[in-house]
Amino acid sequence: MTAPAPLSAVDVPEPPPAPIAAVAAKASLARRLGGLGAGLLLFLVLVALFAPLIARHDPDLPSGLPYESPSLAHPFGTNDVGQDLFAQLVFGTRVSLTIATLSALVALGVGLTVALLAGYHRGRVEAALMRLVDLILAFPFMVLVIVLAAFFGRGLLTTVVILAGVIWARPARVLRSQVLKVREYQHVVGARAMGASTSRCICRHVVPRIAPLAAAQFVRAANIAVLLEASLSFLGLGDPNRVSWGTMLYFANARNAFLTDAWLWWILPPGLALTAAILGFAFLGYAIEELADPRLARAAPRHSRRGARRPPAVTPAEGAHAGMVLEVRDLSVEYLADPPVRAVDGVSFSVGPGRVLGLVGESGSGKSTLVMALLGLLRPPGRVVAGNATVNGRELGRLHRAAVARVRGREIGFIPQNAMNALNPAYTVHHQVTEAAALTRDLSAARQRATEVLELVGIPAPRHRAYPHELSGGMRQRVVIAMAVTNEPSLLVADEPVTGLDVVTSARVLRLLLELRDRLGLSILLVSHDLPLVARVADDLLVMYGGRIVERGGAKAVTGAPAHPYTRQLLSAFPSLRGPRRRMTGLTSEPTDLTAPSAGCPFHPRCPDRGEACRCTHPPLVEVDVGHEAACLMRDQ
Amino acid sequence: MAGHVARTVAQYLLVLFAAISLNFALPRLAPGDAVDYLLPPEQAGSLTPEQRTQVLSQFGLDEPLATQFGDYLSGLARGDLLFSVRYGRPVTELLAERVGWSALLVGGAVLLSTVIGAVLGFRSAWRRGTSRDAGTLTGVMLVDSLPPFFVGMVLILVFSVQLDLFPIFGALPTVDTSGPALVGEVIRRSVLPLVTLTLAYIGPVYLVARSALVSELQEDYVLMAEAKGLSDRQVRRHAERNALLPLSTVTLIGLGALVGGAAVVETVFSYPGLGRLIYEAVLARDYAVLQGAFLLLAIGVIVANFVNDLLYPLLDPRVRRPRAATA
Repeated sequence: MTAPAPLSAVDVPEPPPAPIAAVAAKASLARRLGGLGAGLLLFLVLVALFAPLIARHDPDLPSGLPYESPSLAHPFGTNDVGQDLFAQLVFGTRVSLTIATLSALVALGVGLTVALLAGYHRGRVEAALMRLVDLILAFPFMVLVIVLAAFFGRGLLTTVVILAGVIWARPARVLRSQVLKVREYQHVVGARAMGASTSRCICRHVVPRIAPLAAAQFVRAANIAVLLEASLSFLGLGDPNRVSWGTMLYFANARNAFLTDAWLWWILPPGLALTAAILGFAFLGYAIEELADPRLARAAPRHSRRGARRPPAVTPAEGAHAGMVLEVRDLSVEYLADPPVRAVDGVSFSVGPGRVLGLVGESGSGKSTLVMALLGLLRPPGRVVAGNATVNGRELGRLHRAAVARVRGREIGFIPQNAMNALNPAYTVHHQVTEAAALTRDLSAARQRATEVLELVGIPAPRHRAYPHELSGGMRQRVVIAMAVTNEPSLLVADEPVTGLDVVTSARVLRLLLELRDRLGLSILLVSHDLPLVARVADDLLVMYGGRIVERGGAKAVTGAPAHPYTRQLLSAFPSLRGPRRRMTGLTSEPTDLTAPSAGCPFHPRCPDRGEACRCTHPPLVEVDVGHEAACLMRDQ
Repeated sequence: MAGHVARTVAQYLLVLFAAISLNFALPRLAPGDAVDYLLPPEQAGSLTPEQRTQVLSQFGLDEPLATQFGDYLSGLARGDLLFSVRYGRPVTELLAERVGWSALLVGGAVLLSTVIGAVLGFRSAWRRGTSRDAGTLTGVMLVDSLPPFFVGMVLILVFSVQLDLFPIFGALPTVDTSGPALVGEVIRRSVLPLVTLTLAYIGPVYLVARSALVSELQEDYVLMAEAKGLSDRQVRRHAERNALLPLSTVTLIGLGALVGGAAVVETVFSYPGLGRLIYEAVLARDYAVLQGAFLLLAIGVIVANFVNDLLYPLLDPRVRRPRAATA
């Protein structure tokens, strides 16, 4: 059925290139905080290890008079019974860290076991375990800890057991969902299918995968344990035989240290030490989570503020062809990276009134980047490095956000990739169309306009108050089209408008677009990977490869007599229903890697007709017929 | 929808039952004799074995566990939570006196921390990756790492002891006041505990708000909102509307954490809420009060979670109006 060539008819939507600079910025924040946290903890661990060397007095025995001021012998003075406060602080580090580490270890052990059990024994076992987890998570855990400690007594081990007993539920919940995800990874499924035992699967494949998350959960558990231990001690429920930071504060509070001058030495140091420990664990946990999170790569800043503030150029366009709706000259877009990736390279074209221009190329050809640049919606690190554009003779300069913002939604309408998912689930479709309409009219007129335009695209009135999830994919597509044409733009940009729709629906949507062109006098820039489909509706075609235009001309001319080998391959990748049977060839290798640009024709590594010159000479666009150009050196031979 | 509500109710009844059972089991599992939990320590210590047995049978503790549990449940149903050994009064009465003060503190702190945390978190998410975002994130984590009782003590030191702006102790004025003056005094005395408790909960709200908006901003509908010409403010509102969903859950679930925090903060400020009552009960080994307070708080948190589950559909149309059968 489908073409045997790797260039399949169902294209994967082009993912935006990874915003490298932003990732680096984010990662460096996580790394900085992580380093800071690790440093704080390392310092505390060293203090705990060498406590007897650092403190000169026994923390539990009076070593001076009550309320002594700080001196060489007692750096932080003494408390009401003459115990050395500095020694208590130093030895308190041991208690806090020991309890935190032990509780976190036990909690992680229990949590991990529960997570693996629940993840691997679905059904009853899982349901029961997860119910238990929910139950514990729902309880006010601090109160639970206090009550448990009051009943079961005070001691190091008791405290550890109580804390772990309350904390384990959270790692269990987080790790279980990760186990479920890892279970479904291809290689784990494969290992299972090949007969690997459950325990082998868990040890070899699952545990290594969830290790980073488990580490983060351990740190988080320790973070909570430090605070809980301190709170217990502060309430007088700590281990009576060991002075911890919380115990120091308990005595300070119970004996009204505020009313003496000792508060500065009695309250601040243990409080700050606690803060340092909790903060150390918090920073470290945050860093591990961020650095292990694959979503990190997408958390880019929306746009640079600088770009938004730059004054837009509104000078009348020089040398613009009169009457063109859109005119793009020498547009180049780069993604900031090392080395920079030039996704669009010196592209010029124009769209006349009422024309449909098809922009065709496979994934990675730069067509989506070009569209985003046109709409001023490029996100860092993508930026326009050269060229300019005019819309209806209005100069938009280098397409800065603020300049394009004035025409977006008014003179240029946009239908994005995956238009079905482009509606906000929280608002009715009528509301969302009204918002767009309200850009150019008052609210009541906008409401009326929304009703009108929804009907125009074929959404019956009873469905106008529906939420997006209540509509079918085809209907949602129509709503998006309605939003795009509400303000009667002169240009409609449609990026893969029918990808993902079934054949019948996609034919309807295309017909709707053509109808709208006739009724509203729109020009359309239709972007797609599907050359035959675009050729059916477009007046003119642009074929892009490697960020450049490789062929342009009337739709009939280009499909009838393709002048560039890439266009020929695109055409032959799709079978034709009519006409003679022929061999499907298609493209055989991956698109050219734009990070390693060569001096020659970008297509030459994949070109069946390449010659010697193609490797080192960049082919210019030359006319092959009237109004038909191609960029191929081998045309002349 | 009805099925969903029934399932939710059943789940929460189960949690409630677990809380009650735990409460029943605690004194029976704990080391030592039940008598230790029924009488004040100095009294329990001086009893002969015969007297102990007598006390046990007096309280029905020599009956089979099942019978005891039945008695306990029927007692609960009548609102009978035993007697406080310290105050010599029914626990129910004590709880009723204290619960209002805690509700004032916790309710106020939930409201304030949610608003502040959400505003900061949304702002951070909108400017994510910038130095301002990094600064806010670091600052909030720092504040979040301050133990609440330490914050409380420092606030007392600075504002009560050094500056003498707020009274240290209690929720009610020591001299007789009434009318507006009383209201003013009550507010004045709750400022510091409220601030302490609010600071303790901004962190979690901030982190959730930030990550929720960050992930919403990557959705296709945000790009569409921009492309259709909406202003930055409108685009932001689109995304925030959806980021509110996880936030509502966090806020109500956080009640549990706040209630625990209140126990400690009330102790620092000698604020006469449930937390302070728990602390006093711990000191006096007044186990009946401890159990009663624990049960009341557990019920409060369970009810809050239940309300959240019922309110959630109002925020999310996908739950409120599940997809109708359309082609």
